[in-house]
Amino acid sequence: MRSRVFAATSALVAAGALLAGCSGGSSSGSEDEAADGPVTLEYWAWGTAQDPMVDAWNKAHPDIQVKHTDAGGGSDSSAKLLTATRADNAPDVAVVEYQTLPAMIVGDVAADITEYVDDDLKSSFTDATWGLTTFNDAIYGVPQDVGPMAFVYNQARLDELGVPVPTTWAEFKTAAAAVRAADPNAYLATFNTSEFGFFAGMAQQAGAQWWSVDGDQWTVGIDDEASQEVADYWQDLIDNDLIKVEDLLTPQWNQEVNAGQVLSWPSALWAPGVIYGVAEGMAGQWAMAPLPQWTPGDTAVAYQGGSAVVVTTSSKHPKEAAEFAAWINSTDEGAAIQLETGQYPASTLGQTKAETSAPPLLMPQQTDFWELASTIAADTIPNISWGPNVNVAQSAFQDAMAKAVQNGTPLREALTETQKVVVEDMKTTGFDVSE
Amino acid sequence: MTTTTTMPTTTSTGGTTRTRSRRRSPIAPYVFVAPAVVLYLAFLLVPMLYSVYLSFRGLRLVEGGAFGKRQEVFIGLGNYVSAITDRDFLAGFGRLAVYGAIAVPLTLGLALVFALLLDLGATRAKRFSRTAIFIPYAVPGVVATLMWGFMYLPLTSPFSYVTEQLGWGTIPFLENPEIFGSIANIAIWGGVGFNMIIIYTSLRGIPSELYDAARIDGANEWQIAWRVKVPLVTPALVLTGLFALIGTLQVYGEPTTLRPMTSAISQTWVPLMTIYRDAFVRDDLPRAAAGSVFLAVCTVALSVILLRLTQKRAFGES
Repeated sequence: MRSRVFAATSALVAAGALLAGCSGGSSSGSEDEAADGPVTLEYWAWGTAQDPMVDAWNKAHPDIQVKHTDAGGGSDSSAKLLTATRADNAPDVAVVEYQTLPAMIVGDVAADITEYVDDDLKSSFTDATWGLTTFNDAIYGVPQDVGPMAFVYNQARLDELGVPVPTTWAEFKTAAAAVRAADPNAYLATFNTSEFGFFAGMAQQAGAQWWSVDGDQWTVGIDDEASQEVADYWQDLIDNDLIKVEDLLTPQWNQEVNAGQVLSWPSALWAPGVIYGVAEGMAGQWAMAPLPQWTPGDTAVAYQGGSAVVVTTSSKHPKEAAEFAAWINSTDEGAAIQLETGQYPASTLGQTKAETSAPPLLMPQQTDFWELASTIAADTIPNISWGPNVNVAQSAFQDAMAKAVQNGTPLREALTETQKVVVEDMKTTGFDVSE
Repeated sequence: MTTTTTMPTTTSTGGTTRTRSRRRSPIAPYVFVAPAVVLYLAFLLVPMLYSVYLSFRGLRLVEGGAFGKRQEVFIGLGNYVSAITDRDFLAGFGRLAVYGAIAVPLTLGLALVFALLLDLGATRAKRFSRTAIFIPYAVPGVVATLMWGFMYLPLTSPFSYVTEQLGWGTIPFLENPEIFGSIANIAIWGGVGFNMIIIYTSLRGIPSELYDAARIDGANEWQIAWRVKVPLVTPALVLTGLFALIGTLQVYGEPTTLRPMTSAISQTWVPLMTIYRDAFVRDDLPRAAAGSVFLAVCTVALSVILLRLTQKRAFGES
């Protein structure tokens, strides 16, 4: 008995000493900066590109070592960043989706890194891409990957049914009807009530500005006329049974994709990898085309998805952290790893490099895939800004849309409901909002 | 080893031990209860009090500006007002009521029927049946829900396959209002075995003389079950009823796991889902804390009411 108690006590003492040692070590490290011993940075990121990128950096920079942690995908990771910042144990660097970046700034997670962005880094990205991480003239992150919207479709089946690839949304409707007529079991596409990012992108394509900021005042336009017209467009397709209302990537959806009953997914450049993940057997049958447009001849599309690397306000080494963020996203080494692992790089260097890569596994026959991708990426809608409560908007949108579809009420009303929730939330928090 | 040898000696020399133990007693009891008290304080009371504290706070812009920083400030009862006046949050309680009305009676009823059947002398393959009914309880809730989810989705459902072959079309398991039955079914499937074991254990504790007496009085098996067994296992029924009620108020896993498969389940389908959404999707921990406190108060109130109503019958207390 006594010896066991002794063992337990000594273990506790040892653990305490270890803890003390740890904290002592890190605090002394922060005081002396990089003077003696390497600086260690914590990095939160998801996806297969991160580990090789971190390895490459660590090899090239023995003085600044980075430790990568996968804290979950976009929304999980950002929720954890907010709580970790309040608990004062956030990582030094983290990947954040563009749309949640404003929430990270308001939540005091992302630090202003304008002073660390030199001209060299500045010229690695287009102005439109920098626009995704710049707010009120301050830069809050280095862009990593982007997802310009595109139309990914089952080429073999559309050819078989004699349906041409739509280039406008009007043609998309005609094509949807043609698919229904040719094969009653098939639909051109599904409408998913939780695809906030897709709907926002399509509304932006139609000219909507869901959030805009003028000085200290926010304007919310989730139910503006352009967005309402997008709602009406889908309403019409749903009411006439031209597309199917169904959630994406469920066992049901996957099976329909595999069976050639769902023939396209209007989404973004990253979609081929996702479809390949659930429908490997479809390789060689699918292809990518530019997203349909509202006006014939237009080419600009919005972004759906994509992320930036931010330096956190909790970091004791913001300079080194910013250096790391810049290096992985603007060097040749970084871009090569991104392309290997299926990320579409945000840097112009990476996008040029992409043109000589092999097409994605889903469409080995489409040899001009990356050329087409870079044409699409070259013309994206500028000045898209997201609000400080995109998380609230997203959940309100998903519930309102699902309710509308369930109860057969107009999708228009769902947008109005979302707008109401978002404005109320911003007002409660204390933002200056005009509708 | 040493303790077993000292025990008899201390008891044999009665007088001295008593004085010794009296001298030791002031510290010993405290030492023995300390772990329980410390754990209770650290992992139950402190977090509870912290939630209550948090429920009076709010994240607000302190200095304004389009990209101003949100800080935690005291806002009084604001979170409670916004939670209790939130139609979605309240609608969640309504859905719980519908769900509970299906799940609770069926779970308890089936558990009682199975327990009574297992307790019959004539029943064959008792051990096998008992295990077979109990096994679903051992399947983790998320796994069970995913499994049932596959069986509900029209394209992967074996039930819908059969009805479709018969020309009746698919069964809309994941639409309104069938969704209530579908979710309740998962809970019933998983819960019957556990409740059955509790009732069955209680049945085994009834002395067989009572049955003999009833038989001599001319009672058949039906009458024995209804007039002797059921009244005697009422305490077990009340206990399982209480568990089922609390379980109903805490429904979360099944609808959350099924949500990606159907738009019939919103993010605020049941109160706990609303609380989760507030905390981790909307980043409004204080409002989630207020919702949690409200839900906890409701749970305690309902439990007390249930116990009051059933006390006399269940425990024979006045």
